[in-house]
Amino acid sequence: MKRVIVACGSGVATSQMVASKVARLLKEKRVNAVVDAVDIKSIATHIKQCDVYIAITAPTVDYPVPVLNGIAFLTGMGMDKELDKLINLLK
Amino acid sequence: MELLQSIVNAVLGLGSQVFLPVVMILVGLLVKMKFKDAFSAGLTLGVAFVGMGAIIGFMFGFISPAAEALVNNTGIQLTAIDVGWSPLASIAWAWPYAFILFPIQIIVNMVMIALNKTNTLNVDLWNVWNKILTAVMVVAVSGSVVAAMVVGTIQVVFELWNADLTQKQVQKTTGIPGVSVPHSMMMFAVVLNPFNKILEKIPGLNIDVDAQTLKDKIGVFAENHVMGFIIGTLIGFAAGYAPVAAVNLGISTGTALTLFPMVAKLFMVALSPISDAAGEFMKSKFPGREFYIGLDWPILAGSPELWVTAVLLVPVMLVFALILPGNNVLPMGGIVNICLVAPLLIITGGNIVRMVILGVMSTPIFLYVGTLLAPTITDLARTTGTYDVPAGQMISWAGMEMPVFRYVFSQASDIINGNFVGLIFLAVWGGLWFLYVKEWNARNKEL
Repeated sequence: MKRVIVACGSGVATSQMVASKVARLLKEKRVNAVVDAVDIKSIATHIKQCDVYIAITAPTVDYPVPVLNGIAFLTGMGMDKELDKLINLLK
Repeated sequence: MELLQSIVNAVLGLGSQVFLPVVMILVGLLVKMKFKDAFSAGLTLGVAFVGMGAIIGFMFGFISPAAEALVNNTGIQLTAIDVGWSPLASIAWAWPYAFILFPIQIIVNMVMIALNKTNTLNVDLWNVWNKILTAVMVVAVSGSVVAAMVVGTIQVVFELWNADLTQKQVQKTTGIPGVSVPHSMMMFAVVLNPFNKILEKIPGLNIDVDAQTLKDKIGVFAENHVMGFIIGTLIGFAAGYAPVAAVNLGISTGTALTLFPMVAKLFMVALSPISDAAGEFMKSKFPGREFYIGLDWPILAGSPELWVTAVLLVPVMLVFALILPGNNVLPMGGIVNICLVAPLLIITGGNIVRMVILGVMSTPIFLYVGTLLAPTITDLARTTGTYDVPAGQMISWAGMEMPVFRYVFSQASDIINGNFVGLIFLAVWGGLWFLYVKEWNARNKEL
């Protein structure tokens, strides 16, 4: 099963909020994937063990996996577009 | 009133790990969650409490003897263990009146938007617990739940105003349009502002520092397990432990600091559906209206300056904790002091030199307010039956959000008991706020 990670400053609140929401949306669309919230301080470790990275911050370096915009899931603006991108990446 | 008191006592008697899941299930059903989902969310909350209690018990198991050995070996007595924000959040949620702050935040925000008093719609309902912690401190000083709710309301208003004032700078720092940060930690910038103005006048301090490179080099120290290991090992050596025992203490501390956020995540898993529903509800009430969406602080976490300063301030806090007279906090879980560096980032516009100087200057405030907070928060943990704290020891948080605001307003709440000293604090706060608004109004014209 493919793994999606969401990172924030503690790996607790914002990232888990987005992760829970994305997991719910994926379930509604019947897409199977694991969505985990992680600590951005340890992103270098987590990035090696995922298929998609949903970022809350503007990425400053290149990552080996596709990066999506997590703010869209927080504000609701542009969320459907990011969700479609995510579903395509998980197919 | 007596009836209310006995209900509250009966509820308290249940213990937070039973009482809060029940509240959670009821609130879940209220926002039209399926029973199955509401039940699962409620149970998750109970699991989170018991899980957090298990780690706190585990932590005191090795830190209590270490703190004792530290006293015997060096004479340094620090009995308030800094557990960081996540156990504090859970203790705050266990306060019997905690859930009242939820509708307060939502209603105050919606009224202010309707009256054009703010442009921020705060969908970050997780941090309602910031208001709860303030309320708990107000009750500790004034004994009045009503005063606590009034101060909670005042905090919501200031948070939204601060989010509006700093929105342009947040956009410049993060590159994310249309969002603002109403998190209470940002309020510390009100205190930092005049000192930042003075430092700005010193020409030698406006050096460019390559923060990204520095962060790549020292950022690893901010990781929970690494920081925990270092702090624990240092405490072990200071306590006169043999090297193997000191390293053992280091790994145990690293374990506790790694597990805290893992368990804290469960609180968010439980709260997330309700938080989502409330956010959607608020947005649906103002169709077509443009506003900034208020988000939690981690949107700032992409700035390398934040992490570099946080790591550089770690030894500063350790040294202060040892030498400051009157300090009782042993820094551990809150030593990477986000609640200081995030407002520093915004008020200085990311100037590392000024961030570090101001950070050193203000670290003692965090330790002293942490010392004051310890008896209150430990008492709450014990009376709500949330966590067992060994006798002679206390829980605290060395890096609490907006320590000055909380101190000022909790002291001021004692006015209702005829103690008017707090008025002086309020006047000072008012003066600082006036300067702060003036500063941002000037800056926002250029941003």
